[in-house]
Amino acid sequence: MSTIRQQLASPLQLLALATAGLILLPLGYVTAQALSADPAVWSRLWSTRIPELLFNTISLAASVAVITLFLGVSTAWLVTRTEFPGRRLWEGALVLPLAMPTYVLAYVYSYLLGFGGPVEHLWQLMAGPQARIFSPHSYWGATLVMALDTFPFVYLLSRSALLSMNVSFEEVARASGASRLSTLWRVTLPLMRPSIAAGLALVILYVVSDFGAVSLLRYQTLTYAVFQQMTGRSDNTAASILSLLLVALALIFLITERWFRQRSRFYQTTGRYRAPQRHQYGWLGTVAITSYLGLIVGAAFALPASLLIQWSLSPEAQATLDSRFFGFVWNSGILAASAATGGVLIGLPLAYLASRRPTLLNVGCLQAAYAGYVLPGPVAALAVLVLFTKLAPVFYGSVLILIVAYVIHFLPAGLQSLEPALQQITPNLEEVSRTLGFGMRATWRRVTLPLVRNGFIVAWVLMFLQTMKELPATLLLRPVGFDTLAIRVWMEASEEYFQLAAPAALLIVLLSLPALALLVSKDWRAA
Amino acid sequence: MLFTCPLPTLRRTILSGLMLFVGVGLFVPSAQATDKLTIYSGRGERLIKPVLDAFTASTGIQIELLSSGTTELVNRLKAEGDRTSADLLITNDAGSLELARTAGLLRPLNMREVERAIPAQFRAPDNAWVGLSGRFWIVVYNTTLVKPDQVKSLLDLADPKWKDKIAIPNSGSEYLQAGVSVIRATHGDEKTRQFLQGLKTNADGQVYQKSSQIVDAVAKGQVALGIVNHYYIYRHLATQPNAPIAALMPDQQEGGMGAIMNVAGVGIIKSTKHLDSAKLLVEFLVAQAGQKLFADLDKEYPLHPDVKADPALVERKSFRAALVPLTKLAELREPTLTLIEQVGLR
Repeated sequence: MSTIRQQLASPLQLLALATAGLILLPLGYVTAQALSADPAVWSRLWSTRIPELLFNTISLAASVAVITLFLGVSTAWLVTRTEFPGRRLWEGALVLPLAMPTYVLAYVYSYLLGFGGPVEHLWQLMAGPQARIFSPHSYWGATLVMALDTFPFVYLLSRSALLSMNVSFEEVARASGASRLSTLWRVTLPLMRPSIAAGLALVILYVVSDFGAVSLLRYQTLTYAVFQQMTGRSDNTAASILSLLLVALALIFLITERWFRQRSRFYQTTGRYRAPQRHQYGWLGTVAITSYLGLIVGAAFALPASLLIQWSLSPEAQATLDSRFFGFVWNSGILAASAATGGVLIGLPLAYLASRRPTLLNVGCLQAAYAGYVLPGPVAALAVLVLFTKLAPVFYGSVLILIVAYVIHFLPAGLQSLEPALQQITPNLEEVSRTLGFGMRATWRRVTLPLVRNGFIVAWVLMFLQTMKELPATLLLRPVGFDTLAIRVWMEASEEYFQLAAPAALLIVLLSLPALALLVSKDWRAA
Repeated sequence: MLFTCPLPTLRRTILSGLMLFVGVGLFVPSAQATDKLTIYSGRGERLIKPVLDAFTASTGIQIELLSSGTTELVNRLKAEGDRTSADLLITNDAGSLELARTAGLLRPLNMREVERAIPAQFRAPDNAWVGLSGRFWIVVYNTTLVKPDQVKSLLDLADPKWKDKIAIPNSGSEYLQAGVSVIRATHGDEKTRQFLQGLKTNADGQVYQKSSQIVDAVAKGQVALGIVNHYYIYRHLATQPNAPIAALMPDQQEGGMGAIMNVAGVGIIKSTKHLDSAKLLVEFLVAQAGQKLFADLDKEYPLHPDVKADPALVERKSFRAALVPLTKLAELREPTLTLIEQVGLR
């Protein structure tokens, strides 16, 4: 009893509880809606839509996970453990796809690979006029687009793990006679496992909650179906039922991921850091590596970006560049920055408590924060809207409501890098600081904060990028006259006005670049 | 110092911009300048903004526009209740307007201008919503792949010979819901179910979010036929005059159902604080000039009996419309959705 009171007494604790509560509200709303639904609706959905939607969603997530795992880890390995001309350039280029929203990639590829598109034309020149290529509006199309867009999550976290890993583990293995391959397999990869798992978690949650790309590619997943149900019917029951399934699916997956990470926790025990020895390759190796990386970056970024530029230069697109357009730019930037800042501030106490004092309550609060990510954007939006009109009508119709929805939705993306950042520094350092006479606050400011700074930056940037691209919640919640760049892209691209959508799409990419530069800046490697 | 500015042109631009700004502020009467209408529009921005701009130009009343899906906006209005900032709702579907009316979101209108301009069958009984233009759910076909006499009725599209050759909108689209409602009202549930099942099989991978995509697929020969609202065909032809597509008015045979008609329309939100301006806009939209502007922009049929449709369209008098009252679309919708869901249409 007294321990509970002690736990509750801390203001940090109260803050964490309040945050968790707020984030759980939309989930509670959806659950209540779904469970109070007429059983007839449930059985109708079970017999018609649900099996297909579950199958589609799971198989898409699985195939994207496998491909991103391969792409992410292999590229991270190449840029950290080998030396070849241009390596530093590729190191940065590999995160560029993060600046490209999935739906932009989807619309570029549905133009390129679509029926009567340029790729098919080329193919028909070679294989005859009746030849067809695979349609982008399919399982494989969605897989391709999603994997190209999300592999940098795995790449970034694998790379940081490889950079901050204590090389002596590997050296010991090598000295004991283990081969290079066996060292990789038995020492390096297991050490990377928490980071890889975190990266894959981001990928899978992203795929499962994506709305824009799957709807442009007409691939039916649960999230897409939820949006359709919400916008096509005047009753949200069916949408709530599908959302609940989605949440259950994501929960199963998150618990698996946590279990993976819990089993392996590694601390950096010394402050010593030494760059690992890089393997040198000859010109043949360089050519092979460069074409491999070039193919990936080309398909995920360079090719779509150059198409966007070309389209943006067309007269039709130029005509859309008026003062209104710059309003959209401003709206997007300000929204993304506020949501990212809010997310870091709110995520901090949660991550801190869960990694420093992992009581059931603290870990529970952290887990609760993940609810927002698995709640599809449209449903989170509706729940936020209903809650606001009931609890705080004053803020209704303001951008605040939108920012709250973003924070709830994207906080987990931030937590995924806040948490490891806090976990990686051993608690000993803080304890030492305390025994040396520093107070809680001074320890926090002088020891913890500098050590986790990079984790924060990454968290902020990830949330900024995702908010910038966010679509369904913005579609449903934007205040009147407050369109964002993402909305503009969506409006034009869904009507196949590729050129008209291009300037807004290009700007999302450009505005995301400085944030990305932060991600790969030099400081980052000290994390 | 002022004249040694390194960027004189920039400075001049800013200055003249400021002067223009101040000038406009001076010349527009302040009472009107503060008057602003907020419109929730289920009609695409590109197809409504020019009309609203014309209204602003002639009255000085500013307009804030929120373009989105029709049902989505009705849902939003319901959630917002009295706190909504919306003054008017414009939709592409009479069923949604009627739903908004029965949900108590709209304000009955007593306006003689409306009654004089728009025939009664295109209005709510209490004028809480007013139809503005007519749209028909018809068949678009690729002229190189299909002969027009191969399809007489929408129901023919369920024939197995069209397997993988048809593109349809997804089940969330209001016109699909309205269209199926009319078919149900005419042919009954069982026949409609068979039709939908056939359609589902035939359109397997060709379920689209937007009708413009359907027309595009037909024009490229990816599919032979599609079901769309008529104006998408003319919009496509306006940019690509040589596209091998044409409109086919279905169900015109003796005793046939007639083409499925729906209207785009407007309603005034109950809680509006700008009733006079809102009425002014409705008046503008039902007047002859407004009707012409509104209908032509989207290649639709004006509802005002004295206003002619765009000459590119099929002559309105040359075909019949189905006889299901528009106000019935709302009450038919829920069971229609159930049927659509039972069949498992996407």
